[in-house]
Formats: sequence, C-alpha cells, structure tokens
Amino acid sequence: MLQNFFIRSFWFLLLVLLQTLVFNHIHFMGYATPMPYVYFLLIQPHHTDRWSYVCMGFLLGIAIDVFSNTIGAAAASMTLVGLLTPLLVKIFAPEDKLDEDFLPSAATMKWSGFLKLSAIAFFLHIALFFMLENFSLFDPETLFINIGASWVLTFLFVVAIEHIRMSFNKRFTL
Amino acid sequence: MQNLLDFLRRYNYLFIFVVLEVVSFVLLFRFNSYQGSVWLSAANGVTAHINNLYKQGEDYFRLKTINTQLTEENIRLQQENAILSEALLTVTHDSTYTEKRVSEQLTGYTLIPAKVVSNKVVRGANNYIVINRGTAEGIRPEMGVVGGGGVVGIVYLTSKHHSLIIPLTHVKSSISCRVRGKNYFGYLQWDGRSTRKAHVDDVPRYAKARRGSVIETSGYSAVFPPGIFVGRVDKVVNSKDGQSYRLNVVLGNDFGNLRDVNVIATPYKNEIDALMFQADSLSER
Repeated sequence: MLQNFFIRSFWFLLLVLLQTLVFNHIHFMGYATPMPYVYFLLIQPHHTDRWSYVCMGFLLGIAIDVFSNTIGAAAASMTLVGLLTPLLVKIFAPEDKLDEDFLPSAATMKWSGFLKLSAIAFFLHIALFFMLENFSLFDPETLFINIGASWVLTFLFVVAIEHIRMSFNKRFTL
Repeated sequence: MQNLLDFLRRYNYLFIFVVLEVVSFVLLFRFNSYQGSVWLSAANGVTAHINNLYKQGEDYFRLKTINTQLTEENIRLQQENAILSEALLTVTHDSTYTEKRVSEQLTGYTLIPAKVVSNKVVRGANNYIVINRGTAEGIRPEMGVVGGGGVVGIVYLTSKHHSLIIPLTHVKSSISCRVRGKNYFGYLQWDGRSTRKAHVDDVPRYAKARRGSVIETSGYSAVFPPGIFVGRVDKVVNSKDGQSYRLNVVLGNDFGNLRDVNVIATPYKNEIDALMFQADSLSER
C-alpha cells in the first residue's frame, strides 16, 4: 500500500517535472508538443477505484496547468481521460488478466493492446486540451495539425518510456 | 431511499467527475482571459436570447389588452377625424363671387347660420328643405333664407330646433324679383321641371332683359332685402298671352347640393330697407 503510494508519487513528480522542464519547451516544427503525462493514468493498477482515477487525473492536470500557465485546460481533459481510462483498460486488456489486479503495461497487455489503449487515451487528452486552449474553430487547419502532430510525437515518447520501464523492470523488478 | 443511496455509492465517480469538470472549467474561464471573454460573450448571447424569447411571450399575452386599447383609440381618432374634416370643410370652403356679394349686401343683418338636414329635391313635386335651427335660435316663419348662390327660400314652419323652408323650387313659391339695373320686376316662379331653373313672368316687352342679365330680389316684399342674387336669365321668351316676356332663369343655388344656409333674422330691417329703396326709386322718377 505504502509502496504503491510511493511509486505513484514518483511517477507523478517525474512526469510533471519532465513536462514542465523538458516537453513544454519542445515545439517540433512549430506544431507538435509532446504530452506524455497521461501515461501516469495508464499504468495504475487495474483494480484502482474509478473515483481515484478521476481524482488523480484532475490533480495531475492541475499540476501541469499551474506550471505551464494553461489553468483549467489540462485539468478538464485529464479528468475526462481519468473517467474513461478504466473502460479502455477493460476493453484492451487480455481477458485472462481482468480478474486479477494487474499493472497495465506492454508486458502484461502485449504491445498491441497497450499501444491501442495509449493511442486512444492520448488522442482524447490532446484533442480536448488543444480545443480548450484554442477555444474557437477560427483556424481549424492549424488546430488539427497541432492535435495530430502532438499526438504522434507524444505516442513516440510513450513508446520510448514504456521500453525503458520494461527493461528497468526486468533488471530490478520494480 | 436505499436504492438512491446505492445508486449514489455505485456511481460516485460520475459525480466526482462532474464536480471536477465544473471546477476545471471555472478555473479555465476564471484564469484565462481569452477563454473567459469567449465564455462571457457566449453566455451573454444566450441570456439575451432567453430574455428575448421571454419578452416575446409576454408581448403575445399582452396583445389582447393592446388590441382593446387600439380599438378604443381607433374609434376616438375616427370621431376626431370626422369632426376635424367637417371643420376643415367649413374653413376651406371656397366662397364664390356671388357668395361674397350676398354676404356683403347682408352686412348689418343678423344672420343665423344653419345646416340643411333634409332636402327633398324632386322634379314636379313640392320640395321642402329642413334646417337645423328653430325658434330656440330665433327663427320665425316668413324669414328669408339665403345660401352661397343667393336666395334659397322662405321659412314656412318652425319647431324648437328645426325649421321647414319653402325653397324656390316649390310650385307655390313666389318671390318678387327684378332685373339688375332695371326696375322692372316680376314674380319668380317654378314650373316643376328642372330644379336648376325657374322663370319670371309678366316682364314688360320694353324691359331690355337679355340673356345673362342678373335677376335679384326687388325689395318689394318684407322678406328679402333688395339686390340679393337669384339667378341669371337664360332665355327671353314670349309669355302665353303674348303681352309680355317670360324670362327663363338659371338659379344661383344648386338645390340638389345645398349644405350651408343663412337665415336673415333682423326684424323689420328689411322692411325699412324696402321702404328706403322705394323712396329712392320714387325720387329717381
């Protein structure tokens, strides 16, 4: 229980720091900004209560917002992702794992399942985030390019992070 | 109640979600000026729209009262319009030369203006005119009545507020007339044919009456002062006995279109004028 809390806190802080110190400064081609912090919700143990998914999403969103000066936008989209993530996990996880309290990851869900899960979750978050930030359809082309490019870039980062975690887990069984 | 609590317990994450979303959006609109202004103007737009709908509904339910008010106002305006157009008719009434001359000649006489309320104009019948003034206004029988085109007739009967007039177009009407500028006089009579025409009989052959000569009152009766226009000579024909002329006269007044008349109400003045006139004519001889 305590270990679980520490692991969560670690990931929370790591992702917020990465986002605010590194990823917020990346504007690839002027459009794409990676936002891999949704990853925090995806790797929660399967049997986490749904209300805590929602709350964690909100808290993470608010933390990101405070440091990137987009108050409310990330919080709103992360809260929605927090509501939907358990459903997505249930859909993409292998059926034999559903009864036990597994940690969603590429190892437990297979790469295909985990990638589908993260693709949808990231797309939801990024689309909603950019829409709230732009808050108009004045320039839809730029908006859609922003969403698409950021989604692809974020996806690549998540694959990388997941790789690192897998190899790390193999060595230290974290 | 138990079901409700179960429901709340089971879907608590949904309520948390809604609350947190609301908090997020409040923060979004509160701390981001652009999103805040967009939200504010959108909300204002919605409010204005709802207010507008409400107002329209309210207006619709008030239509009945407004309709009644409009009807009342309409009636009032119609009445006012009728009164005003009547007044305008009186003010803008274009006075003819004859009318001016008649009114000039009648200065010094008390004239009682009256309106024709009933006018029977039928060829060959005994026509009568009823005016809206009677004994209450000082009208007595045997008073003369003049209109815009000259002599109209003589008051025959009076009631309190109305009077009956025998017009020139009555077969028993007989008014002493003369040709203007000459002193030959005769009696104007109506033959029951056209209401625009009458004739003067017994004009001596040596009286040089011509077509276009003016026929006016002679002043020999106590009813009309001398010199009031009656009509113009249309044709000079021989009378039946061949001894004198008969003058066919076109009357100055159109009796089919008579509206405003004046009753000459000065007692005795016309008698006096008549006496003076006769005195003058005596001295001329």
